[in-house]
Amino acid sequence: MKLKKVLAVTLIAAMTAGMAACGNTNANTTNSDQTGTTTNNAADDAVAATESGDAAADDGAAESGALSYADITLGEDYTDLTTTITVFNHRTDLQSADYNGTTWDEYLAAFNEMYPNITVEITTDTNYADDALMHLQSGDYETIMMIPAVDKADLSNYFLSYGDLETMQGEINYATTWEYGGEVYGVPSTATTQGIVYNKKVFEEAGITELPTTPDEFIAALQAIKDNTDAIPLYTNYAAGWTMGAWDAYIGSNATGDNTYMNQKFVHTANPFQDYGDGTHAYAVYKILYDAVANGLTEEDYSTTDWEGCKGMINNGEIGCMVLGSWAYPQMEAAGENAADIGYMPFPITINGEQYAAAGADYSYGINVNASADEQAAAMVFVKWMTEESGFSYNEDGLPVDADSTETKLSFEGVTFLEDEPAVAGEEDLLNQMNTESELNINAGGDAKIQSIIEHAFNGTMTFDEIMDDWNQRWTEAQEALEVEVTQ
Amino acid sequence: MAATVAKVKKEKKPFHFMQWAKSRKGQQVLICVAFMVIPLLLLFTFTYLPFGEMVRFSFYDMKYSTPADKREFVGWENYIDVFRRDDCFGALKLSLYYVVGALIQLALALYLATILSFKVKGGNFFKGLMFFPYLISGIAIGFIFKFFYTRGFVFDTVLQWLGFELENLPYWLRDQSINNWSLVATSVWRYFGQNMVLFIGAIMSVDADLYEAAELDGANKFQQFRHIILPSIKTIVTLNVILSITGSLSAFEQPYVITDGANGTGTYFVIMNELAHTSQKVGLASAMAVVLLLIIFACTILQKLFFKYIFRDAESEDESYKAKRARLKAEKAALRAEKAKKGVA
Repeated sequence: MKLKKVLAVTLIAAMTAGMAACGNTNANTTNSDQTGTTTNNAADDAVAATESGDAAADDGAAESGALSYADITLGEDYTDLTTTITVFNHRTDLQSADYNGTTWDEYLAAFNEMYPNITVEITTDTNYADDALMHLQSGDYETIMMIPAVDKADLSNYFLSYGDLETMQGEINYATTWEYGGEVYGVPSTATTQGIVYNKKVFEEAGITELPTTPDEFIAALQAIKDNTDAIPLYTNYAAGWTMGAWDAYIGSNATGDNTYMNQKFVHTANPFQDYGDGTHAYAVYKILYDAVANGLTEEDYSTTDWEGCKGMINNGEIGCMVLGSWAYPQMEAAGENAADIGYMPFPITINGEQYAAAGADYSYGINVNASADEQAAAMVFVKWMTEESGFSYNEDGLPVDADSTETKLSFEGVTFLEDEPAVAGEEDLLNQMNTESELNINAGGDAKIQSIIEHAFNGTMTFDEIMDDWNQRWTEAQEALEVEVTQ
Repeated sequence: MAATVAKVKKEKKPFHFMQWAKSRKGQQVLICVAFMVIPLLLLFTFTYLPFGEMVRFSFYDMKYSTPADKREFVGWENYIDVFRRDDCFGALKLSLYYVVGALIQLALALYLATILSFKVKGGNFFKGLMFFPYLISGIAIGFIFKFFYTRGFVFDTVLQWLGFELENLPYWLRDQSINNWSLVATSVWRYFGQNMVLFIGAIMSVDADLYEAAELDGANKFQQFRHIILPSIKTIVTLNVILSITGSLSAFEQPYVITDGANGTGTYFVIMNELAHTSQKVGLASAMAVVLLLIIFACTILQKLFFKYIFRDAESEDESYKAKRARLKAEKAALRAEKAKKGVA
């Protein structure tokens, strides 16, 4: 009996102790949180201090004209600088020795020939977009980072300016990508465009000597592939979903030749999906898909297409072409042994005899604003070297970033590249609102609507004009609901 | 000494609670409260609070990212939209495929459970084999069946072994007249094992003496099933039917993973997900969820009534005829209700 009581008391004591322990841990956590905050504050102070220090240093630099992207002459300046810089980026594939193109090690070896005393340490990450933000928030981040999704207003807190916009526009393309308050904080690693990835050999076998430039020519080319080869003329990638939404990327500059269309005019356009009669605008873009499916120029079972599988298929010549951004081009090349067969062509729409392609920057290099002056100088040298000397953009099948270069593997002769203008002030959110209201979700995951084009084309349940009329109606209703001024 | 007594007396009042807590009643109450507070708190925080929030959302025009003060109160507009839009209630028609699938699945499960509950060679092996699909994650099943149904892949190959010509076989996921059946088959494949195990469990609890007695009376296996097993496991049958049918009203995983809800396979849930996450019409999607909840309530109540009729005195032969009539009546009523609902839609 007594034993039982003792046991019970011990048990209760143990449990209470446990609870107390819980309480204590909680208290501890809060405490550590508080200390955390205080440390942060301290860190902030320190940052502020360094910032003011930096500002002073910057002033000094500005006076001597030392740290400005434009003023660095590669191979002459800073050649005796000895320091170590770190680089954090998303290209894990370039870390691997199996990579078909130039690896990071090869780039670094080339860089060290010119700058033997600057040691560059590269870290890559598959979950880059999220992890990069964490690195930034921790306050302790690499000397050079690919700028993740930060607000432009915060750029100067994290990154060093390369120079003012005007100077930088003379040096690089897409300088406005990470521009804020007239200063440029990011230099693009490479730039991509929108076109069609195709298999040159299949096109050759089909007897297509000139790349199609209009929707009609394109459909005729697909028909020739169907008639003369065993390849699937156009692979839709219907099942993956997002590959369908990718068609929206072509209705801006590619289909109108107007770089203000997508972000400024589109929302104010009455019936933007109408037939303009000249094979341009959104109507022509989506009609290519509808016609290709209706004429049996796509895979026989669209519902079971396989994204990973399609890469090898186009590489082997089982697929004629696919409508994907130029980022997909190197992936298709790397998917098999026939890299040389893969080509990239402009989207087949011609506006008044001219072809256009939308182009935009990929991830951009940003330099840590808190790094020491030596590291910042070395980092800027490295970024300039990557842009002007490394051939990175060319190797990765991108468009040139260096303003003086025109070298690219994309066979876009006679095509004008256009960079979309941002939305006018006060209307930044309007397209998003229109997307929500109309449920068309243009360039915002509206995969289902493109999939429905294929379904209707295949089953003959709706004509193309009926689909477009429906979209126009939804667009108009959304414009009315949001009271958007219709001016176009 | 006196002083101490006085002290004790003085301290008696604040100690009143302790005394109550030490009493039997106090202990009972304290222990009840102590044990219930945590689960109730968790239940409230993670079930009822979010649900209440969702109901509140359904009266607003908002996106996820809309700050609380910018959300626009629109009253019943979202609910009116749910009934007006043809894609919302049109999607509910697809649930009929899954309801039919659920019934097939239950019949199959009951049949196999009955067989396996008698002595069968390798019974446990078969049980394991058939229960196995339920253990695989829904996403993995989606990927398995995506390839299973691909033209010229697993399913077509197997059918070709059986002598079918590839040209005569349909495209399982492309053809809109059968792709929903393909998805339903996946769902049946996944869940019938679980139903079966539940049935087996219930059947095991039937007294074995009853079979012996029935056998002595000359009852065959089917008669044993009909008059001994079925009445004994009616609770679990009812439960399984209700779970399967409400489950089929909210079918999501199969169409979402295998076909992305495209090509005419977008069930109510898939449409809801699309509206909430792609189009960011959170208010409308919340209203859809509330409407579905009400529909599921209605279905469950109808089924409850239906089973009350069907299992009313299932033991006696005479009564079962009456029960059958009652069941038909209930079915008619359910049909009428269904029609009335369609009228509303």
